[in-house]
Amino acid sequence: MFFFLRYVMRRAFQNMKGNLLPNLTTIAIIGISMLIFSSFSLIAFNLTSFLKAWEEKIEVMAYLKKGVVLSDVEGLRRKIRQFEGVEAVKYVSSDDAMDFMERKLGRQKNLLEGIPPGILPSSFEIRLKKDFRNTNSLKRIVTQLNQFPQIEEIQYGQEWVETFLTLTHLFRISQWVLGGLLLMGIIFITFNTLQLTISSRKEEIEIMQILGASPSVIQVPFYIEGLIQGLVGTSLAILCLFYLHYEVLLYKVFFLYITPSIKDWASGIPILFLPPDKITLIILGGMVLGFFGSFAASMRFLKYRV
Amino acid sequence: MIQLTHVSKIYPSQITALSDVTLEISAGEFAFLTGPSGSGKTTLLRLLYCAERPTSGEVIVNGIHVTKKGFRMVYQLRRTMGIVFQDFKLLQDRTVGQNIAFALEVTGHAPKEIKKKVSEILNRVGLQAREEDSVLFLSAGEQQRVAIARALVNDPPLLLADEPTGNLDDTMTAEVMQILTDLHHRGTTIVFATHDTDLILRYPYRVIHLRRGRRVESSA
Repeated sequence: MFFFLRYVMRRAFQNMKGNLLPNLTTIAIIGISMLIFSSFSLIAFNLTSFLKAWEEKIEVMAYLKKGVVLSDVEGLRRKIRQFEGVEAVKYVSSDDAMDFMERKLGRQKNLLEGIPPGILPSSFEIRLKKDFRNTNSLKRIVTQLNQFPQIEEIQYGQEWVETFLTLTHLFRISQWVLGGLLLMGIIFITFNTLQLTISSRKEEIEIMQILGASPSVIQVPFYIEGLIQGLVGTSLAILCLFYLHYEVLLYKVFFLYITPSIKDWASGIPILFLPPDKITLIILGGMVLGFFGSFAASMRFLKYRV
Repeated sequence: MIQLTHVSKIYPSQITALSDVTLEISAGEFAFLTGPSGSGKTTLLRLLYCAERPTSGEVIVNGIHVTKKGFRMVYQLRRTMGIVFQDFKLLQDRTVGQNIAFALEVTGHAPKEIKKKVSEILNRVGLQAREEDSVLFLSAGEQQRVAIARALVNDPPLLLADEPTGNLDDTMTAEVMQILTDLHHRGTTIVFATHDTDLILRYPYRVIHLRRGRRVESSA
């Protein structure tokens, strides 16, 4: 077994060395295809992260109708506090809201001059328990809040949630549709490269068959070649993506082209690279595709023809 | 050792290469297979090492029914035989030693064993001094000796030779025949296809005649 493995590994590297240019071309094409596929994975992954990070900061703002008396407020607050998943309910009066606006505007607070007090509605700031900071729990709590006639309007950033969910969903579909095409391309290119390799070694393969080499001795080096092409190509793609992610995206695109307000908001949310388990899956996927291409080529061209 | 029973081979182009051939070659026998070009000699040898399947009939080699339905172990059968060709079929980018070692590498032998066997077989064919030389620098006779050495390095009980002296002059032919004769004396079964009637007359071995795919007569 050891001699067999040693032999087939040596043969695989000899095959690749003997057809260096086609192999390098295949590796480059696999690399580019997997880079595109991994980019989609990275974007989808970060969109999901954004969503999770946003969910962590979720607060529901329930704005009260004008004329709700203070005595009703406490009762309402206690009822909302009883909802499953609610951690805390804070009453923000109209004056409190005005003070907050003035602090937020800072030096520009004179913009509020002439605005009568009480124009801003009072509200409840509802903070959810950690396990309930997700879209489904949010929607359930909002439905319960809507039953209170004293509540005018409820805000929880629903447009953002819907947009993010749709965007994430779209990316995932695009990833797999485009990815499917790219992955078929990888199998095709590996198949063609192996066909060239087999063709260039036709005489040697014929002699091996005459000498009684088993099918595995003949075919396995080509499978290994496909695996190596997939491994090297995909690894290069991940390295390239890493470089683009850290060097280009974070330091150039992010800091140069994003507006300050969005930068402030997003600065608390990390833009992550793919985690190790996803990287491993992508690399394994590349290797499997390389293997399929070489397997198909060897099944077609390396059989003992009798 | 070899049994052909009513074997015919008709190619898709409707060319009949062999027609109802029945013959038997015993273990340890040396048989010339002769006939003009196109008589079916190469086709018959190809049937024996399973490069072709007969259209009809039965072929048994070394006790293995190679025409039986489901027979897939072609490579195992080929390990029981050595095959020598007119055009040598050596790897031109390797040395004499590497060409012979190749036969042992692809059949799973350990490096130490390979080294030992290569040395032994080169001694037998008289090429021990040429082990490190590229085959490109060898004469035709020497190349054929390398091919024979490669065919014999796994100690097969059967040797099939398809016009092995076709590209050789008389001196080289004699060298090759000497090796094969010694081999035959050691008990190897040899089937030697040739259209060289002069060569056949020089040796006291059985002759199987083919003409237009049919067996005509044989003599011992």
